[in-house]
Amino acid sequence: MLASRTFRFVVTAIVVALAIAAGFFAWRLYVETPWTRDGRVRADVIQLAPEVSGAVAEVRVKDNQPVRKGDVLFVIDPERYRFALTQSEANVEARERELEQRRRELERRTRLSSAAITVEAREQAETAVGLAEAAYDEALAALNTARLNLDRTTVRSPANGHVTNLQVHVGDYAVSGKASLAVVNSDSFYVVGYFEETKLRNFREGDRAVVRLLGFPEEIEGHVESIARAIADRETVSGSGDLIANVNPTFSWVRLAQRIPVRIALDRVPDSVRLSAGMTATIVVHPQEGRTGRL
Amino acid sequence: MIKEINVFGIFVPPLFAYAGGSALIWLALRRFLRWAGVYRGVWHPALFNTALYVLILSGCIVAVFHWDH
Repeated sequence: MLASRTFRFVVTAIVVALAIAAGFFAWRLYVETPWTRDGRVRADVIQLAPEVSGAVAEVRVKDNQPVRKGDVLFVIDPERYRFALTQSEANVEARERELEQRRRELERRTRLSSAAITVEAREQAETAVGLAEAAYDEALAALNTARLNLDRTTVRSPANGHVTNLQVHVGDYAVSGKASLAVVNSDSFYVVGYFEETKLRNFREGDRAVVRLLGFPEEIEGHVESIARAIADRETVSGSGDLIANVNPTFSWVRLAQRIPVRIALDRVPDSVRLSAGMTATIVVHPQEGRTGRL
Repeated sequence: MIKEINVFGIFVPPLFAYAGGSALIWLALRRFLRWAGVYRGVWHPALFNTALYVLILSGCIVAVFHWDH
């Protein structure tokens, strides 16, 4: 025998003790380092609804086409609104004539002596002028509305971005207020990471973050912009009667840490990376020195 | 590198890769230790081997997380 029984036992015991200590440390590092596989690319999706109803006369964009702010997206048949404008113009004309007439009447009546006209008749003439003025103003307002309606038959992009999931075709009836086209604002891309609540104490707003998209070798530099301050409590049922708490009586043996959304602002996106809202990302946050909890 | 690992279209946590890498190192090291005759000075080879694997895996994790941070 080369080694005694005690020596062999001690060697093995030391290695096992080291392994337990190292395993514990490594597990803590793996579990508490602020990183997550549960990240999503997001962007502001603007749902465009026409402000006036009518048949779509012209669609000037293609699906997924980049658009700049102010570009025409589609045009609603403007004929009806053009006629409405003409009608409003005629109405303004009529009200103007009416107002002139009433003013002339008032002028004549004020010149008559009180022997020839009653106070009441003069009062009525004054009121008639006031009413005609109001009607004229109303007609002017209606004219402006008609102009605006005609202008809004052309639907423009409110931001730089990309048309997505284009479902509007020539001849479709566009209903005012009902979204018919979506534009993804290309200046608004960000990443949301769903971090386990156990990892939250190890980083703060402003810490540097690295985003790695699924399938892209490039890294995207960013920083922690903000941390959500509320998530829904699944154990209570809200809106129950009598204004009293309704707590779910289940208690699960196995528990999972809840996820808190953390918003990551992207500082520098490599040109080769083309972001689409909805992409999956792995996020690693690099906390500033001295701020990590117990790591 | 803290990134998801693609296994035939199924994405698994990076720990999977560290475990696989550690297994390779562990196999090589075990062969070397056997050749060097270290196991004659070991009380319980299976326990020793398990501890060895845990040590290697921990080393890999610590190295990756330090390098990535």
